[in-house]
Amino acid sequence: MNPKSLLRFLLTGAIFAVAIVVAIALWRHYMYSPWTRDGRVRADVISVAPDVSGIVVDVPVHENELVRRGDVLFHVDAERYRIALAQAEAAVAARKIDYELKTREAKRRASLSGVVVSSESQDSSASSASAAAAQYQEAQAARDTAALNLQRTAVLAPVDGYVTNLDVFAGDYASAGRAVLAMIDSHSFRINGYFEETKLPYMRVGDAVSILMMSGGPTLHGHIESLARGITDRDNPSGPRLLADVNPTFNWVRLAQRVPVRIAFDQIPDGVVLASGMTCTVIVKPHGMQAAAPTNSQNDTATAPKSP
Amino acid sequence: MPREIDLLGFYMPTLLPVFILAFALQWLIDSLLGRLGFYTHVWHPSLFRFSLFVCLFGAMGLAFYR
Repeated sequence: MNPKSLLRFLLTGAIFAVAIVVAIALWRHYMYSPWTRDGRVRADVISVAPDVSGIVVDVPVHENELVRRGDVLFHVDAERYRIALAQAEAAVAARKIDYELKTREAKRRASLSGVVVSSESQDSSASSASAAAAQYQEAQAARDTAALNLQRTAVLAPVDGYVTNLDVFAGDYASAGRAVLAMIDSHSFRINGYFEETKLPYMRVGDAVSILMMSGGPTLHGHIESLARGITDRDNPSGPRLLADVNPTFNWVRLAQRVPVRIAFDQIPDGVVLASGMTCTVIVKPHGMQAAAPTNSQNDTATAPKSP
Repeated sequence: MPREIDLLGFYMPTLLPVFILAFALQWLIDSLLGRLGFYTHVWHPSLFRFSLFVCLFGAMGLAFYR
């Protein structure tokens, strides 16, 4: 009777102890393992603006098209700049002749004796020859600028990438410096994982990362490239008259803030379509767990079919 | 294994179907054990049942999260 009741107690106690261990393991895994559902695909976005103003005459690219670096995105009407270049070239020619004339004059006067030409006249002709040389150089610089402007009427793709938000059409007037389309650098895709600050201690630069896109598809792999070293302190915006404006928060109820962690793709498989802004789940395999992970998963898959 | 499932536009943790599965499994095992009269050998049947469920759910959850 006594040993039997001990067995009854032990059976219940043992499974209760196992339950506590399993519950703690699951809790720790859920709460502390470094993963987040708040991951975003990011890419470098280049706002392309023409360097010279003018009427857009030709847009050879289409929206969302993949272009190579140096491909023409659109042409600004070059006629005005061609005329400007011709004008600048004419000015160069005029300055050149003027410069040559004044140089000859100065040389001639310098070679004459002081009886025929006053030294003042010699001096002033030498000075005006120098001034003509400077003006000649100025005209050359103006011509180079005109040539550069003419060259910049063809707006080229600054990187390999996708034309996005194409908001320029033949006939539009494009102002210099005002962006008319965005380009997504196709080599710059990466993930920003927004991790709770409580999970940062479990992550290190170089840790392997699994990425599950919200859109499905295969698991992508990457590694932690860097951790952001600053986020805005939302509890302390500077108030009026530069005084601190500290929020009266609760002592116990508070949310872990999120810190962006930059994750580089190891390799993007063919057929995976990424768009900047897409959502994904990011699972970090910390240093210690990385080696243990395969054996653990084998154990778990072994116990899972056993339990039924 | 995805950590979330899409149910008519609602995203919910994969642990939820795992929980339901564990519950069904628990119900099956519980009725089996009851029929075999196993609970006469148990000190505290409800504690045993609860612990069994936690073990099932925890093991399956850990398996899915690896």
